[in-house]
Amino acid sequence: MRFVDEFRDPELAGVLGAEITALCEPGREYKIMEVCGGHTHTIYRYGVQDHLPDNIELVHGPGCPVCVIPMGRVDDGVAIAQRDDVILTCFGDMMRIPGGNGSFLDANAAGADIRMVYSPLDALRIARQNPDKQVVFYAIGFETTAPSTALTILRAKQEGITNFSIFCNHVTIIPAIKAILDSPDLRLDAFLGPGHVSTVIGCRPYDFIARQHGKPLVCAGFEPLDLLQSVYMIMKQFKEGRAEVENQYGRVVDWDGNPRALAVMNDVFALRPYFEWRGLGSIAHSALQLSSRYADFDAELRFEVPGVRVADPKACQCGEVLKGVLKPWECKVFGTACTPETPIGTCMVSSEGACAAYYNYGQYAKQRIHLEV
Amino acid sequence: MTTQDHCSVTEGCITCGDIAVPLTVVSMVDMDARCRDEQGREELVAVELVGALAPGDRVLVHAGVAIERLTKDLQTSQSTRSGE
Repeated sequence: MRFVDEFRDPELAGVLGAEITALCEPGREYKIMEVCGGHTHTIYRYGVQDHLPDNIELVHGPGCPVCVIPMGRVDDGVAIAQRDDVILTCFGDMMRIPGGNGSFLDANAAGADIRMVYSPLDALRIARQNPDKQVVFYAIGFETTAPSTALTILRAKQEGITNFSIFCNHVTIIPAIKAILDSPDLRLDAFLGPGHVSTVIGCRPYDFIARQHGKPLVCAGFEPLDLLQSVYMIMKQFKEGRAEVENQYGRVVDWDGNPRALAVMNDVFALRPYFEWRGLGSIAHSALQLSSRYADFDAELRFEVPGVRVADPKACQCGEVLKGVLKPWECKVFGTACTPETPIGTCMVSSEGACAAYYNYGQYAKQRIHLEV
Repeated sequence: MTTQDHCSVTEGCITCGDIAVPLTVVSMVDMDARCRDEQGREELVAVELVGALAPGDRVLVHAGVAIERLTKDLQTSQSTRSGE
């Protein structure tokens, strides 16, 4: 397939792996965090780690949007969906995320009208088709997704649609990276930057990682060779004593991002003072809410929600997995009580979640044997 | 293109997270563009965020919205770094 096969060539992967190995300093360990859940998915689907030497460890970051949704926000969504006059719409991955009172799928089975959509624009179409209902879009995602929600709000306002609102859970990547850099639990050497988030925000917002923390970051694409080339670029920086922000994904990511998307986001959204992230806790200015100009479309103002903080199940160690402190198979319930069919934690639900990626591609079996030795 | 085509655990869900797909513009329909993927599947995409487009242009699409215009030639995919 054009534009895909070029980036999945096993021979080239072998060549890149050898060049990466040649750049390693003997006896030194390298910990590189892939911030994005999409990268985690690629790494385990295509066995990218198998092309890297043992002293390079890829650490999974918090960049799976449904994985960082706290249970209380799921309960808020369920409470809205249980109203007779509401149709709640959401992305597919959100349906099985467990809340304190069950998932959206459970609520749907109990009679709530909850529908999966491909785009927030589909939710707006449902609102047009059901003028006697309140249609709510449960918005999640990083800066890749937030412009789509913002554009939908603009269209709703332009068309004068009054039975549409969003329950906004959009989060921003930079505060999460800062929280990880400030965490005492983890020592990281470098980052693989989230490719499609960077399409919107560009590469400049990562400058502080290189300048203030002295760590390289390379914005990476999502094919196996993209990731290997990005690791090569990081290792080359180490070899040459540099710590810079580089862009491997130049065929998609502009250094300054997408100014139109940023302008739309700035118009429609405002930063929340605080937002709770599963695993990372409450982080200042890390999430978006509708700005006062678009308050009419804010489901949190239109409907009464519990707004209660719900503690994660004790057995679940998603928090440690999201921070990269634990590998998925080190969680006590991984693959036993917690599976993709019956997830306890969010990381086992989404295909981008580290636990689901390990579980589905069989890497956990090899790693368990390795641990027991 | 249906949600079911993409929201499987093995293939990943293009509506979620940091996943986006490259599509080619086939025609313009009012404010939107009809776009086609490499398998020939078509969908209507909102294109306000990438400016004026013409048939043949390639865009990166996430959740039904084009979020970036793609360079046509892979050879132009240059790696760049801070300060360059």
